[in-house]
Amino acid sequence: MKFREIIESPCGVRYLFDELRLQSGFARKVLLDREMMTDAGQIDAAYASLREFVSLVEKDRRRVEDIRFRLQGLRDISGTLASLKDGAVLDEVEFFEIKHLAMLAESLGQGRDMDRVISILDPDGLKIGTFYLYDSYSGDLRRLRDAVEQDPEDEQLHEQLLNEEDRIKKEISSLLRPYAAVLQEVLMALAGLDISIAQALEIKDMDLTLPSSGQRTDIRGMFHPEVQASLRSRGLAFQPVDFDFDRGVPATVIGANMGGKTVALKTLCMVQYLYQFGFGVPAATATLVPFDDIRFCIGDEQDARAGLSSFAAEMQRIDRAIVAVEQGGRVLLLVDEPARTTNPVEGTALVAALLQRLAGKSELALVLTTHYTVAHEGQCWRVQGLVPGTKGRSMDYRLVKTASHEVPHEALNIARELGIDARWIELADTLMKQQYESE
Amino acid sequence: MPFTGEILKHRSVSIVGLSKNAGKTECLNYIIQRLPLDYFNVAVTSIGIDGETTDQVTGTAKPEITVREGMFYATSEKHFRQKRPLSELYDVSEEDTALGRVVTAKALQEGKVLLSGPSSATALKRWMQSVEGFGIDLILIDGALSRLSTASPAVSEAMVLSTGAAYSANIRELVNKTAFVVELIGLPSYVGPEPRLRVSSFSALDAGMLKGHPVVEVEGALTDRLLTAAKNALGEDELELVVGDFTKVFCSQDLYRAFLRRGGRISVRMKSHLLAVCVNPVAPNGIVLDSDILCRELSAKIGLPVYDIVKNDYEV
Repeated sequence: MKFREIIESPCGVRYLFDELRLQSGFARKVLLDREMMTDAGQIDAAYASLREFVSLVEKDRRRVEDIRFRLQGLRDISGTLASLKDGAVLDEVEFFEIKHLAMLAESLGQGRDMDRVISILDPDGLKIGTFYLYDSYSGDLRRLRDAVEQDPEDEQLHEQLLNEEDRIKKEISSLLRPYAAVLQEVLMALAGLDISIAQALEIKDMDLTLPSSGQRTDIRGMFHPEVQASLRSRGLAFQPVDFDFDRGVPATVIGANMGGKTVALKTLCMVQYLYQFGFGVPAATATLVPFDDIRFCIGDEQDARAGLSSFAAEMQRIDRAIVAVEQGGRVLLLVDEPARTTNPVEGTALVAALLQRLAGKSELALVLTTHYTVAHEGQCWRVQGLVPGTKGRSMDYRLVKTASHEVPHEALNIARELGIDARWIELADTLMKQQYESE
Repeated sequence: MPFTGEILKHRSVSIVGLSKNAGKTECLNYIIQRLPLDYFNVAVTSIGIDGETTDQVTGTAKPEITVREGMFYATSEKHFRQKRPLSELYDVSEEDTALGRVVTAKALQEGKVLLSGPSSATALKRWMQSVEGFGIDLILIDGALSRLSTASPAVSEAMVLSTGAAYSANIRELVNKTAFVVELIGLPSYVGPEPRLRVSSFSALDAGMLKGHPVVEVEGALTDRLLTAAKNALGEDELELVVGDFTKVFCSQDLYRAFLRRGGRISVRMKSHLLAVCVNPVAPNGIVLDSDILCRELSAKIGLPVYDIVKNDYEV
């Protein structure tokens, strides 16, 4: 799975990508083409390297800005380097690109042998980043150029000059060829440098954390950066959420509508992706576990465009996730309010059955939000919910573990606090209790 | 030379032809030959596919731009790799055009180049920023056919207009059409309180909508449709339309006149600076207009000097 494939995920990971202060279009491309890491050792190594950049950003901002300024000059010349490797004769534009890359790398202390590459393309030792076929490449070149300038109409001299230029291009190309591989490495290293610095700056800008790998997922003080930014612009604060789960133990999150269940699930998904692509994660602390496959099932606008009803799209999405679970491997499956658009009787049945269908899968971590009351063997979380005495205006978005799987009856509580017709509300309460007793 | 002094007062000047073969390239070459390069670093580029050796539409020969030693120029990779004077490479852009990336180089000897620079006004603006570090004092822009946007004051500070028999073969009509463009270029800057109503050519325009608004901001293009609505709203109330700059005015001359006759006004957010008008009395179909009459009549109509550069090889 490449980063490019998850960028439009409804969890909102795109926001962190868009906010990255990358200096070159090439680094952007390299990042989008990065594969998701699934090995804890590899992820930890990536974070160890990123940690050094975070400390550089903290300690030497001036050096960071200097590097960033230089990285603006980074260009994707992999096409040129591939031709060089394949034995092609390069032209001035391509020599310029190579010289530019080598000088950039040298100024940033990256790559070996850059001085040798530069000396081939800077025969006069001018130490400037421009290029042309310098007169000093050969005595013949200088002589022929002078002659052509004296007699611009002489076709034969022109021909000789072009031949000499071609000979020199051939010679420079063969001198450079042994460095094709190391130049390609340097190119990728510079893109990596751009990405690491941008990630380190984002960690500081957004107050992200570097997670560690462990046996189970445990996130404290988790927040959704985009929702937080939007709340901040209206002078409001985002309430951080704690959450933990294990593989093999399904978890449900219950609570009233508008309780932040979906935002919590989106954040969970985003944190997981960011961890497996080596970004800082939006939390105070986080211990995470890598998965081979991450599945986020949530209704989105694409369904409507594809001409599917939201129910049909949702069912198909969950169906594909079940197939993925059956294929084995470590799967993180996040399902937002399955069957919410159906009637409560069928909806409750579908959710309860989904939990049973996926029970006993030791490699599966399942987190599911619902506002149906569904009993199961796993862990149940509840949105703390309405703050009593605020007439439904204030919500406590924290998640708490609960033994009861019954969805809190907050609608009636809000109605009571609002002073809605008492006989109506009490009648509703009585009817609800009767219904439960009959079941 | 009549207007090089004026050109040197600006950091970017676009040369815009009102039609193909209006003499724009001669005009650019004329300017280049007369700039004092000992004191100024000059760069020249064009927008879009221009600088073809033969005109793609009429097949007539099209002169190349002659760059002088020490001048910077920007062109596509494709044209850079073709015949050109010995040049030192300074930059290769990331942006791709139909003819490859844009290459910026400094001519180490005088010679002819084909110009095909950035492909849009925004790309051109980005290129202008990217070469800021090269110590360039003046950027000349060869504005291509129907790319009047290069002349937008948002892109270049000043402009030179070239017009000619290729635009219209009838002197009276040529003078009339050119004078209209010159009039638009001369639209005054808006001065006054912030307009409370903003409309665009996509707005639903009800008859009563403009009522009670003496000043209306036009977002994007001022089209015939918008101007008709504005004209119809003119009664006893005043109405001033404020557009971004003259390149956003896309309305017919008749309608424009009718609007002004009824007392309407049009002003711009950013005013353009027209340095000179050059004419080419020769059209590709062989029609040759009388240069003296053309210059005299056009000059009288627009109140600005008009030059036939080809005929009168003005003193350097």
